[in-house]
Amino acid sequence: MALYDNKYWLLSHIRNSFISTDDTGMCELIMAGEEGVRKHLKQSLDLYPDDEDSEDEDDLSHESYDLQLDTDFPIRYRSNTAARLEKLEQVRKKTSRMKHVKWETNNSELSQEQVDDLFVRKEPVVSEVKQSLFSKTFKQYRMMPSNPFIEFAKFDGSGQVNLQTKKYRIFLTMLPEHQRNYPMNICCIGSAKVSELIGLILLKCSTMYEDYHWKPVTTYGLYITEEDGEVDRDLPCLDARENISKFGFHCLGLVEHTDPTKYVSFDTSESVIIMRSPFNTSDKKSKDISKSDQEKQITTDLHLMDVHKRAMEAPLYKSYKVYMITKMRAKTEIHLGISGEKIEIDPVQKNSKFVLVKQKPINHDMDMIAWCETVDVKSNRTIFRIIYSQNFGSSSAPENVSTFSPTLQTSASFKSYDFEAEHETAEEIVYKISLILELRSSDTRKEYLAAQERRYYKKKALI
Amino acid sequence: MFDKSEMDQVLLATGGYDHTIKLWHTHSGICYRTMQHAESQVNALEITPDKQLIAAASYQHIYMYDLNSNNPNAIVNYDGTTKNVTDVGFQVDGKWMYSGGEDCRVRLWDLRSKGTQCPKIFEVLAPVTCVCLHPNQVELFVGDQSGIIHRWDLKTDHNEQLIPESDAMILDIAIDPLGTHMAAVNNKGRCYIWSLKSGKIDEPTKMNPKHKFEAHKRHALKCEFSPDSRYLVTTSADQTAKIWNTGDFSLRQELKVENQRWVWDAAFSSDSQYVFTASSDGCAKIWNIETGSMEKEYAGHQKAITALAFRDCAV
Repeated sequence: MALYDNKYWLLSHIRNSFISTDDTGMCELIMAGEEGVRKHLKQSLDLYPDDEDSEDEDDLSHESYDLQLDTDFPIRYRSNTAARLEKLEQVRKKTSRMKHVKWETNNSELSQEQVDDLFVRKEPVVSEVKQSLFSKTFKQYRMMPSNPFIEFAKFDGSGQVNLQTKKYRIFLTMLPEHQRNYPMNICCIGSAKVSELIGLILLKCSTMYEDYHWKPVTTYGLYITEEDGEVDRDLPCLDARENISKFGFHCLGLVEHTDPTKYVSFDTSESVIIMRSPFNTSDKKSKDISKSDQEKQITTDLHLMDVHKRAMEAPLYKSYKVYMITKMRAKTEIHLGISGEKIEIDPVQKNSKFVLVKQKPINHDMDMIAWCETVDVKSNRTIFRIIYSQNFGSSSAPENVSTFSPTLQTSASFKSYDFEAEHETAEEIVYKISLILELRSSDTRKEYLAAQERRYYKKKALI
Repeated sequence: MFDKSEMDQVLLATGGYDHTIKLWHTHSGICYRTMQHAESQVNALEITPDKQLIAAASYQHIYMYDLNSNNPNAIVNYDGTTKNVTDVGFQVDGKWMYSGGEDCRVRLWDLRSKGTQCPKIFEVLAPVTCVCLHPNQVELFVGDQSGIIHRWDLKTDHNEQLIPESDAMILDIAIDPLGTHMAAVNNKGRCYIWSLKSGKIDEPTKMNPKHKFEAHKRHALKCEFSPDSRYLVTTSADQTAKIWNTGDFSLRQELKVENQRWVWDAAFSSDSQYVFTASSDGCAKIWNIETGSMEKEYAGHQKAITALAFRDCAV
C-alpha cells in the first residue's frame, strides 16, 4: 500500500496490467518501445530517497518491478524444443573436441614407395622371457587382505550415461584439518541405499587415503552439510536403509558415530556375529586371517561387553550433581536422581540473596519422560535437555494408567528441562536415560518420536 | 611397496554393454578410471603398441581414447563404416590400424599423418567377424560369417581362401607370436589348427591343416595363444574358458565359475602364468593357469563385458 504513492511504481504497474491482461498483445508491442519515455518520466518526477533503483536503470528490459514478461512466457511454450536444442548443443560440443576421421576410399593405387613404407615385413623373433610386472605385483598383493569395500564398486555411477545417477560432494570430517576442507566428488547410481552410498564413499576413501584406518560401514553416518563443510547437527543422520533418491541434498558430511549403539539399535550384536562367517566360508579371499582383523574382532567384543554392562546398570538409581537452567537463565544447583522408575530434581539448599526463584523439588515418572539429548557442548560444560509430557501429572497410580485409552494421549504437550554439567557427567546421564527409555518404550516417548519424524519429513519436503 | 607410476604401465581395460570402458588396477581390483562410450556396446578393445591410446570397436565407429589423461570422452572418431565394427588391431610400429566389420570390409587406417587417404580396403562376401595380423606384419587373416578364412597379402594384394567347415561361422582367428601356428574357432564350438610356414620374402605363408578338435559344446567366441606359445585359450558360450597345450592340443585347464555366463574375451599375462577373462556376468576375472583357480574378480560394470584388452610391462 505504501507503494501507491510512488509515481513510477504506479506507472509501471498500470503499464504492466495493460500488457498482461491484453490478450491481443498489442499493448506489449506498443509499450515495448517506450524506454525513452520512461527515462524522461523518471527525470521529471520526484525521486523518493529510498527509491534509487539503480538496478532498474541498468536493466531496462524490466518493465515492471514484479512481472517479467518477455523472458518467461514464450519459453514455456517452447520448453521441449529448448531442452532438445540444449542436448544437441552438448553433443556438438563433445564431438567438436573429438578429432573426426572419415573413411575415404583411396582411388589411386599406392605407389611402390608407399607400400614399402607402410608394409614392412618383420621376422617373428623369439622373445626372451622377461618377468611380468603384473605377475610380480599381483602375487605380492595376494598376501594382503582385499579391500573390504570392494562390493560397493558396482554402485559407482561415474561415466554411466543411461543410468540415473546422483552426484554428491562429501566432506570427510574425520580427516585432519588440511584434508577435511576439500570435498570428495562422488557419483552414485540412483537405485542405491544410503548404506551402499556410504560403502562407495569408504571405498574411494580407502584408495585415496590409504593410511587412515577406515571402519565398517555401520560406524559412519551421513549428515546434511553446508556448502562450506559445516555439518548440520540438528537434523539426524540420513537413515541407512532409505534409498538415496528420497533425499535431495547434494552436500553431505561423513561423520563417525561416537557411540555406535545409539544409532544402530540392538541389531549391533547380530551384525557383529555375521562378520565372522566371511573369514571361514569364502574361497575367493585369502584363507589367512590377518592379525589386524583379529584385533578388530577383539575390540568389537570388548565394546559389546561394555555396552551390555552399561545397559544392565541403567535402571539402577544414581544421583548426579548438576546445574538446572531456569527460565530466567539462572543456574541452580540441584541433585538429579535417575532411576528406572522416576527422575527426581532436588535443589541444593543455598542461603543466597541472589536467588530469584526458589526451585522446588520435582518428581517425574519415567513414563512421562519422552527424550533426553545433548543440546550444546561448550568448552568446559555440556548442556543437555530432558523432554517430558505434562498430561497426567506425576502421581499416577498403576491402576489409573490402564484405564486411559490411547486416544487421550494424542494431544500431549511436551516441555523440557535444561541442565548443565561437566562433559562426562552429562554424557553419562544422557546415555543412562536414553537406555532406560529404550527399555521401557512408553507411549509418551513413542508419540514424541512420531512428532519428531513428522517434523523432519516436513522440513525435508520444504528444502 | 611398488612404484605407482610403474604400475600405470600395466593396463587392463574392459568394455561391454553398460556404455562404459573401465581401466583397472590389476593388483587391487579397483577401477581407477571410467570412460564413456555412449552410443553402443563395445565389440572389441585394443591398446596401441605405444600404450598411448585405446581403440574401441563399436557400431559404425571406432573410438580412440587417451590413456594418459582423465578425459572420459573419446578423442578420435573413425567414421565411415556402416553397421558394427567387429574387430580392430594395430601394426606393431603404430603405422596403421586395421578394422573389420559387418559391412563385409576390412579397412586399413593410416595412423601417422592427418587427413591422408586411408591406404587399403579388402572386400569379402559375408560380414567379417575377426581379423588377425600375422607377426610378419604384412599378412592379414580375415574370418567371416560364411565360414571362410581369407589370407590377404598387404604388399601384393593377393589373397587365398580356406574353408575349414561349411555352414559354420568363423568367430575368431589367432596366430602365435612365432608365426608357427594358426587357430580358428567357430560357432559350432570347434577349433581348427594349421601349421604355418613362412616363405622367403614376398612368398606367401603356407598353411597346412594340422588338427581339429571339439573345444566347446556351444559357440566358441575367442581364441588366443600365450606369449610363450605354450598354451591356447578358447572362450565359449558354454560358460567356460579352456586352456590347451599347444604341443598336442590336450586340455590343460577348464576355467569355470558358477553363473559367469558367456565368456567373451581373454588375454594372457606376459609370462603366460595368468589369463584374464571377460564374461556376461559383468566381471572380469583373473585365473592362475597352473591351478586353474580364479584369483581375483574385477567388479564394477553394470552389464555384460564383451571386450577386454591387456598390456603388461616387463620388470
